[in-house]
Amino acid sequence: MPDIFADFSPEEPVRIPLLDSFLELPVIIQIAVIFIFISSASIVFIQVRIWFTRYKGHRMQKRLAVLLPLIDNLISEHIILRNDVMNNSVHADNADLDIDAFRLREFRKKGNKQILIDRLISYRKGFSGSTGALLRRLYLELDLDKVSFKKMKRSQWNTKVRGIRELTDMDISISDVNILPLTNSKRNELRSEARNAYIKLSKNEPFKFFDISTEPLLKWDQIELFKTITTTENIALPSFARWVTYSSNKSIVSFCLKLIVHYNQIDAGPAVVKLLDNKDHVLRAEAINCLGKLKYEEVEQQLLHIYSNQPLNCQLEILKAIGRMETRHSVLFLKQEFLYSTDFDIRKNAARSLVRNAPKALIEELMASSSEDGQLILKHSMNPLIKY
Amino acid sequence: MAGIGHWITTFYESTVFVYGTVLLVIYALLGLFSYLAIRNFLRKETYTNYFDLLTSPLSPGISVLAPAYNEGLSIIMNVQSLLTLNYPTFEIVLINDGSTDNSMEQLISQFELVAVDFAYNPKIKTQPINHIYKSTNPAFGKLTVIDKVNGKSKADAVNAGINIASFNYFVCTDVDCILDKNALLKLVKPVLEEQSKRVIATGATLRIANSCEIDNGVIIRMKPPRNLLARFQEMEYIRAFVLGKMGWSFINCVPNVSGGLGLFDKEIAIKAGGYDQQSFGEDMELMVRMCRYACDNDIDYAIRYIPETLCWTEGPVTVKIFKLQRTRWARGLAQLMYAHFKMLFNPKYGRAGMITFPYNFLFELLAPIVELTGILYYIYLILTGGVNYTFAILLLAFVYSYSVMITTMAILWDQLAFRHYKSWREVVYLCSTALLEFLCYHPLIVIFSLRGYYYFLTGKKHSWGNMQRQGFGQKKKT
Amino acid sequence: MRNILVIDDDEIIQNVLEKILVKEGFRVERAQNGKEGLAKFDLLKYDLVITDLMMPYANGFEIISKLKQHPNTANAAVIVISSITHEESVMDSFKLGVDEYIRKPIMVGELLLRIKKLLLSRPSNA
Repeated sequence: MPDIFADFSPEEPVRIPLLDSFLELPVIIQIAVIFIFISSASIVFIQVRIWFTRYKGHRMQKRLAVLLPLIDNLISEHIILRNDVMNNSVHADNADLDIDAFRLREFRKKGNKQILIDRLISYRKGFSGSTGALLRRLYLELDLDKVSFKKMKRSQWNTKVRGIRELTDMDISISDVNILPLTNSKRNELRSEARNAYIKLSKNEPFKFFDISTEPLLKWDQIELFKTITTTENIALPSFARWVTYSSNKSIVSFCLKLIVHYNQIDAGPAVVKLLDNKDHVLRAEAINCLGKLKYEEVEQQLLHIYSNQPLNCQLEILKAIGRMETRHSVLFLKQEFLYSTDFDIRKNAARSLVRNAPKALIEELMASSSEDGQLILKHSMNPLIKY
Repeated sequence: MAGIGHWITTFYESTVFVYGTVLLVIYALLGLFSYLAIRNFLRKETYTNYFDLLTSPLSPGISVLAPAYNEGLSIIMNVQSLLTLNYPTFEIVLINDGSTDNSMEQLISQFELVAVDFAYNPKIKTQPINHIYKSTNPAFGKLTVIDKVNGKSKADAVNAGINIASFNYFVCTDVDCILDKNALLKLVKPVLEEQSKRVIATGATLRIANSCEIDNGVIIRMKPPRNLLARFQEMEYIRAFVLGKMGWSFINCVPNVSGGLGLFDKEIAIKAGGYDQQSFGEDMELMVRMCRYACDNDIDYAIRYIPETLCWTEGPVTVKIFKLQRTRWARGLAQLMYAHFKMLFNPKYGRAGMITFPYNFLFELLAPIVELTGILYYIYLILTGGVNYTFAILLLAFVYSYSVMITTMAILWDQLAFRHYKSWREVVYLCSTALLEFLCYHPLIVIFSLRGYYYFLTGKKHSWGNMQRQGFGQKKKT
Repeated sequence: MRNILVIDDDEIIQNVLEKILVKEGFRVERAQNGKEGLAKFDLLKYDLVITDLMMPYANGFEIISKLKQHPNTANAAVIVISSITHEESVMDSFKLGVDEYIRKPIMVGELLLRIKKLLLSRPSNA
């Protein structure tokens, strides 16, 4: 503004018309004016930021469009489409692997290395057997495990988790010194990931933390752990009854019940039966569910015995369990519950178990003698189109 | 006399001043909270393996409830697309709410349905169910169709679905909504990763489907709506979900889970009494009752939101239909506040009573009224010559730039998290809509809200009818 | 030449299966989702259909039930490749007339043996 400078002389006080009129405004209006500038500047900044984010994404997409076909072709040629692998005639450790074919200039960049790692992991999720083993060899021989280990050492928790995840996905063992401290991390996500890795990779006592853990195992963690335990090859399976008996951590007991069912550990029966005296009705119901799925017939009489003192959820589980055991010993009990209970869910579950257990003649007899609702429940339970 | 008049104007002016300042601060805080919440979500997302959930026998079952009334145009395609959701154990319960078109015939022939003897316990009272159908083809084994007498409300239809739902969680959606194929996996995750609280509901971002490229019920590419009214709504939804709901979720104060897509804990929903047929805003009303039930029974609950867009819905493109929708929403809000007035500033209801409810009362319900009085006051000032036009324009410019900033910020959060739309230009196109909101869109909302309150006060009966839809299937894509 | 249709929305699996099967001397058609899969039925007579279960547009179950009715695919052998291990999904697949249910991750050698065994026991369609 030239006219400001034209009047400028050191003797006179500095006069800037705009600033002066600003200072004469009430405080509120002053604040408003300042905010107008801040907001407008932010809007411009945000637009630039959006542009930048999109540009970054765009570049990444372009890079992927070049790299992924390249990686796919290399993997097809050197790992998958090999006669020795396709007919399983060679062990992955002994097969020749043309590692130099993968040592391309493109993969020296950090970002591109990550793309390669991610792609290898996706392949390994799709293919097991010798293909999977070769992919693992490739990951190791290209020293990509060092990249993942480095992530584990970073300070951000989510980067650490990613590092651990990459190593476990590739079945690379992590030494106890590195992983054990993380199993006690304050950050819940990191802790559960470290435990997951420990179970999968530890040679000594994979289930050690079941003994010491005091805080609840989240449902999400249970799902991931279950997946790890059931898909890891050569895992040394303990008898899960141990924790059912000794652990004071309810979520671990409940998780072990699910594992007992999955591995059909019938030996665990007596330990699970002891849970029927547990004060927590949710846990009791889970124990009954487990016994039913194990078809642990020894407990059937005891279940009938405790039935009348149980809350509804346990009663329903007892009815289901009796149905699953298919011993046909308790048909009379089921029939009574079906005919005389006033609760809809009890009648429905009794009917479903009856359909599994009772002779056809009895069902027909019941059909003839029961009320309209009773007939409807029976028909519902017998219809193969209705699953629940 | 003059003394009292002066006193009133001073009181009014300072109240409005405090009111406005608090609102501005709340928005700034929401911006901050939502940023933190989204950042946390994204960090987890970098390594989360939904595949484990998809293949696990431990994933909880989910019942998907989809009410439909005269949706014959697109019903087959919509059910087909619901059947392709990625989840291990779920069922689709389609509730045909006494449609008068050929929806039912189409369903029966397409999905090889037969009426079955289905026993259920009507824990919530609804209009009678005529028949329940299952498919004889195992390919459609997950589908159950309820044919019921029209209950004149979505609430009644969903309640019938809740009664026969088999699983402990239900997802409520509209049959005309398009869901992301991973919607169930993503909605159930917050429930599974909660430490000690019981998650009674989760929601996700909803968006406008109008100009998106859609092929047989699958979104191929997202586009900001070309229609101005719809584009305003897209912008409003991004702000309300990505900035608003995510911010509230961060401090566990989510006010409601939208009717387009939400996952609910069935036990609590039933105990709270299900959806209210009389309500004009049944989704929010149920949420409030579920919170009340949880508080009354000492259940430490949480409602969670995720920033990802999992549901697209057709937004009204004519002012006439938009008017009906917003009048209805406003009426629902007024109804709700009236019915649950006891919760306001009631410490017994924890955060819901002390934060969520007061916010909704003061800044959602009262906002249009405050604005109306403000405008009237201004007119009075203009007439009496008491306006300092410089100040007025500066203040107006301040509010305007601030609101545009908040909206663009919401769009940025959305863009940081997901690279929606094809190009930067489309994002700018959407952002530019924010410049017009103040002049075109906002006044409409205020007027329609006031209209809704008026109907609430006068108890005017109004049949809302079904929103006229073109049906997504009709827009031929080549 | 025997014709095989591969329907899977996982791009990696789709690519690899195509390459392996072509190398083994089959003619392979591929589809990314249910809709494309159904469209490929009209193209030629197939000896084998390999399908995933969870896909956009039409899920695997729907594909299987439709292919049993289509003249070009009615006589084809059907293999499901899925990561879903739930008993219910497996049962439903077999109810619909699937010949093999293979869980992901795939063992390539095993898959090839199963395919050859299945095709050996049926006359060529082409």
